[in-house]
Amino acid sequence: MKFSYTWLREMVEGLDESPQDLMRLITLKTAECEGVEETGALLAQASEARVVTVEPLGKNVKAIVATENYGIRTVVCGAPNCRPGLRTIYVPLGKKTVEGVESDGMLASAAELGISRDHSGIVELKETLRLKPDWVIEVDNKSLTHRPDLWGHYGMAREVAAITGKKLLDPVCETNPTGPQIKVMIEDYALCPRYSALVFENVTIQPSPLWLQYRLEAIGLNPISNIVDVTNFVMAELSQPMHAFDADKLHGGQIIVRNAHPGEKLPALNGETYELDPSNLVIADPEGAVALAGVIGGAGSAISATTTRIVLESACFNASSIRKTSSKLKLRTDASMRFEKAQDPVNTVRGLARALELLQEVSPGIRLVGGLADAYQPLKPLEPIHLDLDCLNRKLGCTVAPAEVRRILEALEFKVDENFNVTVPSWRATKDISIKEDLVEEIGRMIGYDNITPVPPLSPARVPPANPEREFHHKVREMAAAQGFTEVYNYSFIGEESARLFGFKDLVETDHDYLRPSLLPGILKNIADNARHFDNFRFFEIGNEVHPDHEEPHLVAVIFSKETQLLELKRLADCLLPGLEVRPTTAHPWEHPQRAAVVESPGAITPHVSAGIGRLFEFHPKLVENGRAAVLDLNLNLLHQPHEVRYKPLRRFPESAFDLSFIVPARTLIADVQAAIPKLPEILSVEFLREFALAEGRSLTYRITLGAADRTLTSEEVAAIREQILTTVQFRSTL
Amino acid sequence: MRQLGVISVAGRNPKLTHGAKAATTGSGALLDAKIQSLHASALEQLALATTLEAVEAVRIEALGRKGKLAELSKELGKLPPDQRGPQGKLLNAAKQDLESKINARQAALEAEALNRRLDSEWLDLTTPAPGIRPGALHPVTQVQQELEQLFASLGFAVVDGPEVETEHYNFDALNIPADHPARDMQDTFWLKDGRLLRTHTSPVQIRALEKLGPPLKMIAPGRVFRNEEVDPSHEHTFYQLEGMMVDRDVSVAHLIYFMKTLLSAIFRRDVTVRLRPGFFPFVEPGFELDIQCLICGGAGCPVCKQSGWVELLPCGLVHPAVLRAGGADPEKWSGFAFGLGLTRLAMMRYGIDDIRLLNSGDLRFLNQFRA
Repeated sequence: MKFSYTWLREMVEGLDESPQDLMRLITLKTAECEGVEETGALLAQASEARVVTVEPLGKNVKAIVATENYGIRTVVCGAPNCRPGLRTIYVPLGKKTVEGVESDGMLASAAELGISRDHSGIVELKETLRLKPDWVIEVDNKSLTHRPDLWGHYGMAREVAAITGKKLLDPVCETNPTGPQIKVMIEDYALCPRYSALVFENVTIQPSPLWLQYRLEAIGLNPISNIVDVTNFVMAELSQPMHAFDADKLHGGQIIVRNAHPGEKLPALNGETYELDPSNLVIADPEGAVALAGVIGGAGSAISATTTRIVLESACFNASSIRKTSSKLKLRTDASMRFEKAQDPVNTVRGLARALELLQEVSPGIRLVGGLADAYQPLKPLEPIHLDLDCLNRKLGCTVAPAEVRRILEALEFKVDENFNVTVPSWRATKDISIKEDLVEEIGRMIGYDNITPVPPLSPARVPPANPEREFHHKVREMAAAQGFTEVYNYSFIGEESARLFGFKDLVETDHDYLRPSLLPGILKNIADNARHFDNFRFFEIGNEVHPDHEEPHLVAVIFSKETQLLELKRLADCLLPGLEVRPTTAHPWEHPQRAAVVESPGAITPHVSAGIGRLFEFHPKLVENGRAAVLDLNLNLLHQPHEVRYKPLRRFPESAFDLSFIVPARTLIADVQAAIPKLPEILSVEFLREFALAEGRSLTYRITLGAADRTLTSEEVAAIREQILTTVQFRSTL
Repeated sequence: MRQLGVISVAGRNPKLTHGAKAATTGSGALLDAKIQSLHASALEQLALATTLEAVEAVRIEALGRKGKLAELSKELGKLPPDQRGPQGKLLNAAKQDLESKINARQAALEAEALNRRLDSEWLDLTTPAPGIRPGALHPVTQVQQELEQLFASLGFAVVDGPEVETEHYNFDALNIPADHPARDMQDTFWLKDGRLLRTHTSPVQIRALEKLGPPLKMIAPGRVFRNEEVDPSHEHTFYQLEGMMVDRDVSVAHLIYFMKTLLSAIFRRDVTVRLRPGFFPFVEPGFELDIQCLICGGAGCPVCKQSGWVELLPCGLVHPAVLRAGGADPEKWSGFAFGLGLTRLAMMRYGIDDIRLLNSGDLRFLNQFRA
């Protein structure tokens, strides 16, 4: 929202803060300003002028002009409307020689001066030139979300008056003409709390006077014609959107505010035709919709150059209804933006009063027909809010004098009784202020938060509840990083192609994507991307898998290399959960058929059926170019198996160890042979040492360490155990 | 060296010359000559010995249990008692002299051998160290961990919430009803099942109040989503850190103190903060918190757009409706809340100018953040 500095000054008596100071004050006390810019700078030196003579000069003309402030000047002018006798605007800038003629200064177009967007020719001045440079303060719209009143200059002027302690001047002279000339029927007052209208005749459609065009142009509204410009002016001043209908294009002398019929069509002012449904509110005459309420007017009832009678609408619509319609139709207008902030129903008649005054200036001879049509439900009186001053001081953390509290609230036009029961003005009561905390904010921002001394909070020392899952995730991160893995973040979204490639089922869908039920699609992309730059790399991600009924944190770690690094990657798994087991399994289509395994918890009870705590595999070589990608994918909830460490006394008697080699058929698993070794109490550890590939299979060597807690084992005992192991393993292998 | 050895023997035992005169008398003189000859020949052999083995052979031949000196000591026993003393001393002197010379020779050879071996063990220490280097944690992780530790030290719990949220937790419970224009401030990824991807970490305020109840000090770092076009400064996926303190009579003055303390710790220097009004439906009053520009110190520069202040985070006193939604009575409890942009903080800290790099998985970028 853009605010004209000059406009604000008209409504705050004696405002002398500079535009920059004003911007700072508004930012600190009311809403965030994004910047301040000068507009119409050329007007500082502009002078009224009359073209005296004109001589052709190539494509241009040489004009002698009589200026009010600079005497007679010669200028070369290219405008088609430069003609003797024209009253226009001269700017003493741009001395140059054109085709031998010394041109001193320029005759300016309205666009060049910042008055409007008209650059078809130089200004044709009808009135006295009183325009001056202005400053435009731009306020962030988001910071006005809760303030319907600040979508007009008058609301901001009220803030400025309260901030600076100056007097607010109301631009509206309320008149109360009676005798409505049009019937208004509102079907549902919840959707349209108030609809007010005036009818005018003898209307002349013509460009607005320059001052009005300049006002609108400065704040970014395009001047169009006098009637439309007045409606926009009132909107920008009072935050009251208005609409002018061509009265001769309305039928039946009646305005109906109703829900659209299913499939009802409305050709709108912007050239689009909208198909409506009953959630859209329309303004209609007995023959059909003539406007989309609070959003846009209809093309059929729009004013045109030939319009002579108008119906001027000033209404208030339900905020969420307007917002729904506007977002459904993807149509945001200056009106809908205001209405969706919940406008003040009291304001409709003020808007009309202001428009009445302005129309008489911009459309000479215009006549009001009858009086005000005004349909509304009587508003229920506002309940005052009791402001407990102790509570106020406790919330702010400082003491504000009662007189100061009163001054601030009254400057913002709240009514405050002797017990600090505060009545909220209608323009703040629609949504913005309803509880005492809202009043605390009014006081806080006006005294200035800089004036509150910081105080350390007094809170008892408490040990916060632990978050072991998150701590574990950090531990995993540290471990992975220590082993050379770099952390990546991937998006939570996956596309159709990934979903197909991995055959995902039961996906959670957004409008155009899926949420990842696995981190692997992102990981696969990371592999391809980084393989373009590196021959070897390691990385990992910790992130949530999203399933229909839960989210599951996973770790995925990758080693990419020329040769497979699956066993090196397995080391990471081992470090994260010592003793975990890896069980070869049937590969998924995206996995190397001979290099896929389920990762199991240490001592998992049902190792052959459970899905384990994750998988260790190599991506299928058809999915990865220029190398092999070893992948570890672990469910962190299952990986996290906190255990208490208990000290065991050191062994007092020496241990004995011997190595055993087993010759087994090819593809016999090291773990299977190891599992076949009986679990005798004397066996302290079984450690796989090495293998030799043999023609007939594999020779697997294990070191077996024996010991007893209470004595040294005799050589006979050791020999007996050795024999027992050999027999058992041989027996099991023949089964 | 041999000469020196002899002189040394004579020098240490002057009786050797005296003895030489006495050697004219019978077998005493004979022994004397034998000692001299043995001493001389052992020294000669020692001089020729160039290996430790040869030195050892000399030792065994001269000084061994069955060596020549041992033989001579047997002869000593046969001498008349009056001659035993002087001859014994001579023998002893010769033995000591040989022992020390053999030891010295041995030590010299050992030292030489050690030097040779060590010399051969030249190692190029400019060879790059082998083995894998630690990887890097993601820059956002690093900032997040640092903040978690900082908040933990201030007694804050770290609480998690789901990324897929319900409309209730993400909006309604936070005082953002349907069709409230505030919902426009956060373009939402809606799911087909009616849920949504959380647009902020604020839903965890409600979840933490429900789970832990007041009084409460908590933070909730995490991933959030906004349905926006991605460009160098906008992402649809980024990280926030929500913070909340609920206790008795928590005030704006407390909030200012706390934020100043916290931000000074984050930026590792004293920062000046200011609050100005900001609208967020889940706080009342609500603020935008600015810090005085750390680049120019408030004088005005391009980073702060000449204002001297940089907008850092939204905060405010927890709205009574939010406390109620979390099951806390707003007449008894009050609190403050704030939302830190972790992604933005990481970008500020490391000078990252393109937000898209953070989710790129590009190791050329990420490996720069090794500790």
